[in-house]
Amino acid sequence: MEQEVDVAVIGAGAMGATAALWLARGGMRTALIDRGEICREASGVNAGTLTLHMTRAALIPYAMKGRELWLDAQRWLGRDVGARSAPGFSLAFTEAEEEMLFKRADARSAMGAPIRIVTPEEVRAIEPGINPAVRAAAFCALDGHVTAYLTGRAYRAALTEAGVSLLEGHGVEGIEVSDAGYVIRPAGAPALRARRLVLAGGVWLETMLAWLGFHVRIKCLVNQLVVTERMRPVMRSVVGIANGLLSLKQFENGTVLIGGGWQGKGDPVRGGVEPIPDNLIGNIQLARHAIPALGETRVVRIWLGLESETADAMPMIGPLPGLAEAYVIGCVHSGYTSAPYMGHLLAERILGREPELPLFDPARLMKPAPAKLEETA
Amino acid sequence: MSEADLIVVGGGPAGVEAAIEAARHGLAVTLMDEAPEAGGQVYRATPRAFSGELVRKADPIGVGLRDRLRESRAITLFDHIVWSVSPGFRVDALSPEGPVSRKAPAVIAASGAQERVVPFPGWTRPEVVGLAAATIMLKSQGILPGQLTLLAGQGPLLLAVAIGILKAGGRVAAIIDLASRSEWLADWPALASRPDLALRGFLWQAKLRNAGVPILYRHAIRLVEEVAEGQVQVTVGPVAANGAALDDIDRIFQVDAVAVGNGLTASTDITRLLRATHHFEALRGGWVPTLDAEYRSSVPGLYVAGDGAGLAGAAAAACDGRLAGLVAARDLGALSQQAYETAAAPLRRSAARARRFGTAMARLMALRPAQVEAIPPETVLCRCEDVTRADITAAAAEGARTLNQLKAWTRCGMGPCQGRICGDVIGAALAAEGCSREQAGYFTGRTPFRPLPLDQLAGTVAYADLKLPPPAPL
Amino acid sequence: MEESQSSRKPKTLRAAGVKRGEAVRFFFDGRPIDAYRGESVATALRAAGILVLRRSPRIDAPRGSFCWMGLCQECTVVADGVRRPACRLEVAEGMVIASGTVP
Repeated sequence: MEQEVDVAVIGAGAMGATAALWLARGGMRTALIDRGEICREASGVNAGTLTLHMTRAALIPYAMKGRELWLDAQRWLGRDVGARSAPGFSLAFTEAEEEMLFKRADARSAMGAPIRIVTPEEVRAIEPGINPAVRAAAFCALDGHVTAYLTGRAYRAALTEAGVSLLEGHGVEGIEVSDAGYVIRPAGAPALRARRLVLAGGVWLETMLAWLGFHVRIKCLVNQLVVTERMRPVMRSVVGIANGLLSLKQFENGTVLIGGGWQGKGDPVRGGVEPIPDNLIGNIQLARHAIPALGETRVVRIWLGLESETADAMPMIGPLPGLAEAYVIGCVHSGYTSAPYMGHLLAERILGREPELPLFDPARLMKPAPAKLEETA
Repeated sequence: MSEADLIVVGGGPAGVEAAIEAARHGLAVTLMDEAPEAGGQVYRATPRAFSGELVRKADPIGVGLRDRLRESRAITLFDHIVWSVSPGFRVDALSPEGPVSRKAPAVIAASGAQERVVPFPGWTRPEVVGLAAATIMLKSQGILPGQLTLLAGQGPLLLAVAIGILKAGGRVAAIIDLASRSEWLADWPALASRPDLALRGFLWQAKLRNAGVPILYRHAIRLVEEVAEGQVQVTVGPVAANGAALDDIDRIFQVDAVAVGNGLTASTDITRLLRATHHFEALRGGWVPTLDAEYRSSVPGLYVAGDGAGLAGAAAAACDGRLAGLVAARDLGALSQQAYETAAAPLRRSAARARRFGTAMARLMALRPAQVEAIPPETVLCRCEDVTRADITAAAAEGARTLNQLKAWTRCGMGPCQGRICGDVIGAALAAEGCSREQAGYFTGRTPFRPLPLDQLAGTVAYADLKLPPPAPL
Repeated sequence: MEESQSSRKPKTLRAAGVKRGEAVRFFFDGRPIDAYRGESVATALRAAGILVLRRSPRIDAPRGSFCWMGLCQECTVVADGVRRPACRLEVAEGMVIASGTVP
């Protein structure tokens, strides 16, 4: 028995799930399809850092809105996702790092992020556990973290309440374009006819866009993450380093999550396959250098998450050219932070309203020679 | 980092025999194990500082294993905690001197089995230990679990531990066996394949009767609670053949120790990590790697032998280990096909014979259909994170369908043991909510295989010497 | 209540018929514990009547050694500053061991 919906969203990560939620709340019959379980890829396994220090300058306004939404999840999502506000530090241990620090802080404050440079004494007053060898630091009062693995359960409840038809465990192999819209055939489930289509497939967007004849190169980053067992409270802020290679936070349960984009091995076909041992050790060494007390605890799990990136490292959010009512959303750097906002923006557009902030035209990536966006700094 | 032809992970009977055999045919073999000596759990060595009767009475098979391994050309790395095996292969371990790494084109995973305990209220109390744990305490540490111990669960370990306690001068309050009196006789052809072990079982039963140790068949523990410091009260009750609790008169014991075990499950850290294909076999210890007839997993170069491939007992593990060593030697070109066939044929026959008894014992240890359903909702299932059966039920009601999803929703399996203790029971608990064990799946395998002290992993390094990748984009 | 054997109680949990290594003394939460070389910390503590090695992080329940093969981590203690399972740790003279409870 075929199902007819107003919009079908393919990919139930935080981007797709948010878009589906707001589309349904906006009155559309909505289907959300994923070959796996909801929010079990990047959205469920990332470090959950809400940090303006690590957000690309151009995306600061979006990240700030996204952060507010995570902190307010109880209200609009109906469930706590463990979001906590916390101050955030970016540290410099060398002269070169100090230079990077000032440049990054400038770029981000120019976009509205409340980031200022502080002295080592100020750092230690707020975060006594930081290595006394720190030379300088940038401070942001508006950082924090979310417990990423809670995302799926939270969204599932909200989507169910909103009447979204959620199909987990059904992969899609292709999409037929008809005059009435799109026909989707999820494996092991009846076909779906949708007037509108949203592709929200993360690192699998390259494949999905190819279904519709678009050829967009999407880079797949394989990020390593490390978590410790519970330990005594050793930090209360979110800590990074000027070179952008560390994310460090301690949750209320005492576990410490170490990230920073160190790469492992993997690809969209096989998934995250294995950590690269040198990268693992380097990441841990960096973390312990920032917060020396980490030496006391034990590492209990190392995993990998896949992150998507376009050729100009900027998001791809908006209508697909040459098709009626087909959209794409994804490839947002630090996308988890801004996902609740990005998904909402796209839903607004699809519902026929003017989004509050500009989207990111996918067409730019589809010209023969994709134009590089000027960096706004 | 050193190169070898073959790395064997696990120094129990399967691993040791595999290493000896492969080395005999000229392969450069390295065997790694976290224990100070070979023997695994079943033939665990007594500490070197010990002597006396306990040492003299050590299982001669274990002693022989250690001697022959020493005489072989295999390189042995004991006190090495293997925490990762990467594709290709690279094996990483933590030794007392720090991180160690070895590379080889072939790996034999011989990680053996581990104990399964079906939870009941009070099972996490410190007075309660595992049944296989009690074996380790008695045979390799010379210590009793308590002055008066209650034994419970299912499988051949019940009698073995009871006898062990009596021999060590302790007392057994009772044996609480899920099975019926005659259940172990049901597979009598298998018993007949090892008349020595069958006879020993009869003798043990007689000895326990003479010592006045009551054996309650078709019973299980309902509750363990503290009554005084170091003293617990154990309530036991009758169960049906399918493991369901029966509404009937309970019996109460007061003891200072409880040893409980409900069979064994295969240790699949390495095969899960490397994404080998697995399938579910309830009668062989749950999720096991899918192997061909020559011990090869779905990952080229990765072989599996012993209980880690599916429960079949120590004797079968030794045969399978030897065969896996032969296969690896042949696959790596150290042995001609003809020489391999000549050597393998008699070993295959021994392995088949040994497996008969082992798999019969494994069947006694398998979970009964209603055993997990009998667990009261407020009972902790995941010890590390104190996740209860009720938490699992609630998550399933909200739509959680797989073990990995359940982990994300409840934190079960996220603690220091990473689901190794609770994985099988929680899989059964999820299946009881309305899916199959296959659908529920197993916890995704990740490194490290054991919690690693961060200081030891990171070592000592100056900030200037850190190998940093390029900085993140502005 | 049932008792199945005579009221003769063994005086110690250490089995007879074992000649252990030389006597050593280590400390658990400041308390001196007498043990023998070759024994694991878990063995020595159990023989000394100490079953509670730590408290569980979520419900603060008393926990001790359970699997005795270094898998369950319930017997985690802090030994000379390093967190390790007590069942896989051999006693040594002067060792300073603290309970594995995370504050």
